Amino acid sequence: MREIVVALVGNPNVGKSALLNAIAGADVKVGNWPGVTVEKKEAFFKYKDYVIKFVDLPGIYSLRNQTTEEKVTIDFLLKEKPDIVLNVVDATNLKRNLYLTIQLLELEIPMVIALNIWDEAVEKGIVIDYKKMENLLCHPVIPTSAKDRYGIDELVKKLVEVYENKKFIQCEHFEPQFEEYLKKVVQLVKDYKPVLLDVYPKRFLAISLLEGSLNETLQKELEEKIEEIRQEIKSLYKKDVKTLIVEERYGVVLSIYHQTVKKQQEDVVDSSITLDRIFLHKYFGIPIFLFLVWLVFEITFKVSSPYVEWLDKVLSVISSWTLSLLDSVKAPEVLKSFVAEGVLGGVGFVLVFVPVLFTLYVIIAILEGSGYIARAAFLMDRFFGVLGLSGKSFIPLLLGFGCNVPAVYATKTIESEKEKILTTLMIPFMSCGARLTVFAFFVSIFFTDNKGLVIFSLYLIGIMVAVLVALILNRFYFKTKSQFFIMELPPYRLPTFRYVINTAWSRVKAFVVEAGTFIFAMSVLIWFLTNIPYGAKKDETILANVSKQVAVVFEPLGFGTWQATASLFSGFVAKEVVLSAMGNFYVGEKIEEEKKNLTFIEGLSEIGSGFVEANINLVKNFVAIFGFTKQQQQEFDKNLASAIREAFTPISAYSFLVFLLLYTPCLATVFAIKQELNSYRWMFASIAINFTSAWIVSFIVYNLLKNFL
Amino acid sequence: MKTLKDLRPGEKAKVLAVEGCEEVKQKLYDLGIIPGEVVEILQDAPFGGPIKIKVHDYCLALRRKEASCILVEESK
Repeated sequence: MREIVVALVGNPNVGKSALLNAIAGADVKVGNWPGVTVEKKEAFFKYKDYVIKFVDLPGIYSLRNQTTEEKVTIDFLLKEKPDIVLNVVDATNLKRNLYLTIQLLELEIPMVIALNIWDEAVEKGIVIDYKKMENLLCHPVIPTSAKDRYGIDELVKKLVEVYENKKFIQCEHFEPQFEEYLKKVVQLVKDYKPVLLDVYPKRFLAISLLEGSLNETLQKELEEKIEEIRQEIKSLYKKDVKTLIVEERYGVVLSIYHQTVKKQQEDVVDSSITLDRIFLHKYFGIPIFLFLVWLVFEITFKVSSPYVEWLDKVLSVISSWTLSLLDSVKAPEVLKSFVAEGVLGGVGFVLVFVPVLFTLYVIIAILEGSGYIARAAFLMDRFFGVLGLSGKSFIPLLLGFGCNVPAVYATKTIESEKEKILTTLMIPFMSCGARLTVFAFFVSIFFTDNKGLVIFSLYLIGIMVAVLVALILNRFYFKTKSQFFIMELPPYRLPTFRYVINTAWSRVKAFVVEAGTFIFAMSVLIWFLTNIPYGAKKDETILANVSKQVAVVFEPLGFGTWQATASLFSGFVAKEVVLSAMGNFYVGEKIEEEKKNLTFIEGLSEIGSGFVEANINLVKNFVAIFGFTKQQQQEFDKNLASAIREAFTPISAYSFLVFLLLYTPCLATVFAIKQELNSYRWMFASIAINFTSAWIVSFIVYNLLKNFL
Repeated sequence: MKTLKDLRPGEKAKVLAVEGCEEVKQKLYDLGIIPGEVVEILQDAPFGGPIKIKVHDYCLALRRKEASCILVEESK
């Protein structure tokens, strides 16, 4: 079997991913391009004697080598040398799309052009003579539509055909005089630095040298000779080379466009423009947006929570089976504890995120695919511009209030690397649901009169610190002024079910596989710290001993005890476990759920009935989104409450909560940051920023309150 | 000289030139805002936010700052 490597290249929002899904089905691998945060998708498809490997390159408007996406694309096309470029173009927006096509031709790689979204073009009464376009472009053109799988088979057939023929015809379509200049540049390279011709395609090389956009050092003579040509062109055409090249390309595009495209009716009423009159309405746009955001939030957490509970149940059944199995072989207690808490606990930390992430990814894929994300950015841009961010940061930050992990992954929709990093670093300061459980517990002990106010103040501190961190990083690290914001508002489209589910699934799969190993390993490590020496008293474990040493750091914050320190250690793993860990450290007893011994059949029926129950709860929750339900009152452990009351003063308790709010939310978030930013450096930076700001703010808060109250 | 920023929703204009920082200029060119093209202002965001324009057959959002780099001549 021979492999054909096909690179998918096209503008953003032309349905590249949907087309890839239509060709290759669900088997799409998602990862990142090395060193950057741009998502990389790959898929394989068997056809006749070939395995066709599709590589979905990031959506770009031009091959200018400026943005990260452009760099990734050019790098791949020039260095990996794919066999074929599959240029996906939006048939309803040909003028702009063909601009990239013209540039791709300069790379001299065999090409097939997919006139995608064909169905919509037909609907809009746009008639395209694609046979003629084929002749004008010198490369095959195939109409396709991912939605109804139109043209997919023919496209695959054509790819193989082009591969077997292996030929490339270069059109020389610029103005004849300018073509002569390009030839002159090529001749100069031959004379001065012929090695460049082995690396770069001729036409691309000549144009980039004239534009001055090539990333190579040249001899002084060559540089001077090229500058001469530039000046000559400038005096001949009365404009600089860059503008001339753009205009030449557009000239070709418009000539092809006018020869091949006929609109049956001019200016059909565009449904997208009508929809935008509602969604981008000057006064109602933002309220509608806030409503939708609230809906996303509610749906994500309400839809997923029954399944999170169900997975919890499944895990406890599995753990009960495992324990009985270990009992039957007379395994020592330490091994049982290790398996139940260290191993299965670690699996649990990963699995509970699956329902949340899957639901969120489905919603994000719908929002992305429908074109609404761009509208949200449009509406919110004004407010985020101040922070050096754009409107695209709003949704991830907001999701952070539910859970930081999906919030970090939601930064996928931000293209600018800098804005993505900045947003990701801000997310951990958004107080998530798990932190709220600890706040609620402390507040019910120390601040019974102003519960709401105290919790609100914590949320506010989180937001303020996030803004401050963003401002500081902007001022001293990124040092760039607010970047420009020029963004396409793609037409509203109904994303295909297949695209939505496949995208969500492959992203979740990537999380489980990668985060799984990491979180699992950390969970095992933490088990060792808290349980070794096994059977030791609560203040003699490794963790307790380490905590005693570290506690001095927290002295100035008002809670320099080993118990508080150890609790913060476990909070680093997950905020969900803080309260039960505190029970362990302060009272010396684990707040354990009752353990049942289940037979295999009982376990299965528990899992089955749990699943049914989860589905019922899902429906209930859906109803609850639009209605009112009574908030569940949490029952707190009485022993722990009295121990905490003795260990903290209200002021040191508040200081502790501030620290808990601001320091690293959990391991899963840490890993998500590593995965999404594709960098250990930023992961550690995030941890450092969180701990430092937590310490500083707690210190200020504690000392202010101590001296002024 | 009029710029795109001076136009109101519903008005159309012909691009004369893009004058501003180089990065924005190239980006706008890539997106089809070149001298001679007709652009139409469709909507604007509240509180001095971005504006939405139509160029070729598609819609583009840009901040008012970028719009002020685009020199235009009003057309009917």
